Amino acid sequence: MRSAAVFGFNEYSRQIAAQVRNIYQDFALFVINEEEKKAAIQAGFLVELFDLSEDWRGIEKNFDVENLIVFCALANDAENVFLTISLRATFDKLHIVALAQDNQSAIKMKSAGADKVLPSLQIAANVISDMLEKPVVTKVLHDVLYEDGLLNIVEIEVTRHSSFVGKYLHEIHFKSEYDVILLAIVDHEMGTTFSFASKGHNHHIDPGDILVAIGYQDKLNVLIDAVRRRSV
Amino acid sequence: MVGRWLVAFAFFLHSYPPYRNAKIFIYNLLENSHYPYKKYFDYGMIALIFLSVYILIRQVKYEMPIEWLFFNNYVISLIFLIEYLVRLWIYSDNAKVVIDQYESDLFLHRPFSLSQALKTILKQKLEFILSPAAIIDLLAIMPFFHELRMLRIFVLFRVLKLFRYAKSLRRLISILASKKFELLTLALFALIMIMVSSVLIYVMEATNPKSPINTLFEALYWSVVTIFTVGYGDMVPVTSEGRTVAMIIIVSGIAVISFATSIIVTAFTEKLDEVKEEKMIDDVSKLERFYLVCGYSALANEVVHRLRKASKHIVVLEKDPKKAKEAHDDGMYVLNFDSASLHTYGAIRLHFEQQVIAVILLQDSDVANIYTALTIRELNKKIPLHSILHKPENRKKLSMAGIDEMVNPHELVGFMSKKISNQPIAFEVIHALRSEHGGTVIEEVILDVGMSKRFFELLLHPLFHQRLSMLGIYQRETQSFAFNPSPMFEIQAGDIAIIVANRSLVSEFRNLLHRKKV
Repeated sequence: MRSAAVFGFNEYSRQIAAQVRNIYQDFALFVINEEEKKAAIQAGFLVELFDLSEDWRGIEKNFDVENLIVFCALANDAENVFLTISLRATFDKLHIVALAQDNQSAIKMKSAGADKVLPSLQIAANVISDMLEKPVVTKVLHDVLYEDGLLNIVEIEVTRHSSFVGKYLHEIHFKSEYDVILLAIVDHEMGTTFSFASKGHNHHIDPGDILVAIGYQDKLNVLIDAVRRRSV
Repeated sequence: MVGRWLVAFAFFLHSYPPYRNAKIFIYNLLENSHYPYKKYFDYGMIALIFLSVYILIRQVKYEMPIEWLFFNNYVISLIFLIEYLVRLWIYSDNAKVVIDQYESDLFLHRPFSLSQALKTILKQKLEFILSPAAIIDLLAIMPFFHELRMLRIFVLFRVLKLFRYAKSLRRLISILASKKFELLTLALFALIMIMVSSVLIYVMEATNPKSPINTLFEALYWSVVTIFTVGYGDMVPVTSEGRTVAMIIIVSGIAVISFATSIIVTAFTEKLDEVKEEKMIDDVSKLERFYLVCGYSALANEVVHRLRKASKHIVVLEKDPKKAKEAHDDGMYVLNFDSASLHTYGAIRLHFEQQVIAVILLQDSDVANIYTALTIRELNKKIPLHSILHKPENRKKLSMAGIDEMVNPHELVGFMSKKISNQPIAFEVIHALRSEHGGTVIEEVILDVGMSKRFFELLLHPLFHQRLSMLGIYQRETQSFAFNPSPMFEIQAGDIAIIVANRSLVSEFRNLLHRKKV
């Protein structure tokens, strides 16, 4: 059972909570003071108060830590770093996503043990400059990533008995046969590091590899079926 | 009768376009420092001045060819004379004076007063003739009468004409002029001291046969040399009374020099910001295409650094002097002006259509950004306006204020969190493409009509096949995106292909695409 917890209640954490609460079967919002609690309840969330000095064993009781993703989104970067480092000190396998105001704080979050850091200032700056310099790319990628349009991006894991196992990438005609574009592939043996398909490596597909493809949802569904189809 | 004829002629001139246009053109060329061609005129005049001074110096000891002398005495002088007369012409509008007088008299039911109109015209022209710059101009023409050998020295007045053509010299004069009262007071003090000391030293020394100061002129010379702390030592007082005068004047001299220095330094310090600002406005007005950033926030700092990496020019408008200084320290073109004020855009001489690619509103509140957007939209309806959106509930208001694109960082982080939860690898792939890490980039390639065949052939070229992915083509006309189009797709002018590949490969693809033969 996958679960998520968001820490803090401000403009950022409100948006995070609103976007992720429906994805997870189990969701909790932790707030640091009464003021945040009041605002979160007004916004329609069920909340729990927490203290930065606590030992976090309560989390272990309520969630399966290995399947829990935590969003550290306190308004104060210093407190957020402290929260991140406290959680990491307690739980080795917890997946932590931390919010940072800028790059400097992002480095600290990373050092504190966050798996993924979202530097809000840089994110906004990147999008603004991309909108100015590459407006079409920005619009298309935004639609693909965040909008529920026809064009989508998927991650497809190659199953053990998949008909794709044992083939080379160049043997599969993603564009002409499936009308999708293969963007990247994660080599199972190399961990979670991906490589772009446009690098031109003629990768040998193994079970556990992940294909990242972009296309219209119906075409992607055809590809997903093909990947999962058992080889005869 | 003459009056009526003059009024009719004035109305004719006032409404005759070739005459008005010629006068405006000449005014711009001579007086409008923002007129792009003025600098060429100024350079020409500066060249003539230097040539003229060179000839004067050369002819002191060497024989000059007759053509050079003719050029100096007649051609250059004639050019300066024409310039003087033209300046006199554009200084005031005679036709307007006559018309104003006529209309005023008509309104008051009086007969047209020709003498009053002529008096006004004469007064205005005299104002020009008696101005220091015009006097210098006139004296610079004097070598024209080269037969009078003494008048040749007037060629040096041509050097003073440089003040007209060199902006920095004009600026120097204006800085000194701001302390006119103080400088004049000091000059008056120095003059009185010189006069008093000259008379005193003459009285004390002239009767002593051992003293080198025997005439009033020598006394004046000694006083000037002493008060300005030069003290050649060629003339020294020999009497005790004379030496007492010397002591007083030396002390006064030091006071004069130090006061003068302090006044000039103060004038420069006071005007330093103004001078810097003027210089910055000049620099910005020379930029051809740039992004205009309103407000230098932490976000603005990030945005401009990214845009500068892409070799774009950025101009920052920031009303807070502290933040403006920060932007300046970061190496930006920064103007310490309020972006929400209409007056600002006139003062900084901004031409939206020619200079500005887009305006980016990054102030700390939606209120300030809306206010600035409305100001800019009043000046220009078409310029692309991008803005940060601090509160999602203000989206509609920003849109109503004419902002084309807005970014809400909170929403972005929310979307990203969702994607990280759902498809972490896909998110990382797109993020890596956007941030251009690892050499693989996602780029836009602008296409043209009739390119279809070459474009799709190139995609199958061994160099690009399997190494370059074309996601699709954005169709400008229909504003729609054709994903993975077939080779039968008809490309139109301005369509944009989205390509994913190594940066150098994209560059090569662009080059080959725009070559006639592959």
